[in-house]
Amino acid sequence: MKQLPPEYYSELEEIQAADFVIVELALYLHTHPDDLDAIKQYNEYVKLSKSLKKAFERKYGALTSFGYSFARCPFDYKEAPWPWQV
Amino acid sequence: MNRHTWYRTYRPYISPMDPCPPIKVKRYSTPPNLFVGFQPPGLEQFPALAALKAGTLWKCFYDPYYSLKELKRGSENETASP
Repeated sequence: MKQLPPEYYSELEEIQAADFVIVELALYLHTHPDDLDAIKQYNEYVKLSKSLKKAFERKYGALTSFGYSFARCPFDYKEAPWPWQV
Repeated sequence: MNRHTWYRTYRPYISPMDPCPPIKVKRYSTPPNLFVGFQPPGLEQFPALAALKAGTLWKCFYDPYYSLKELKRGSENETASP
């Protein structure tokens, strides 16, 4: 059973951190729609999150299925480890 | 307001019929977000990874709800970041 390399976890944490900032800023922007700095930061983190995910998925396969990520051949989305096994 | 003193306490009524050993003093946290009202723009932020651990992006809303042991131990070294 292939073991995951250690950098898998650090890269995943980077993605989680970027997504958390996006969630926080999105909730903030719901009540502060004209806060330009927050909007700039939000877009910056969306760009960062997309690039992190793209690099991550090229290395370790799809993060999500049903059209959010490209598939590989053979289709390995169902292979271990599943998210809760990581 | 010092971080360690935003806890408020109250003394619940202790009934003689109470089967378990009573908790004489109950403690609850009153974090800053209760008092801030409408959040001002441009608050100081944690870096992304620290924010993920802290559970909030803005430093002033960080409330780890320290246990009593941590409070006693923490009072010597004020650990602001998570």
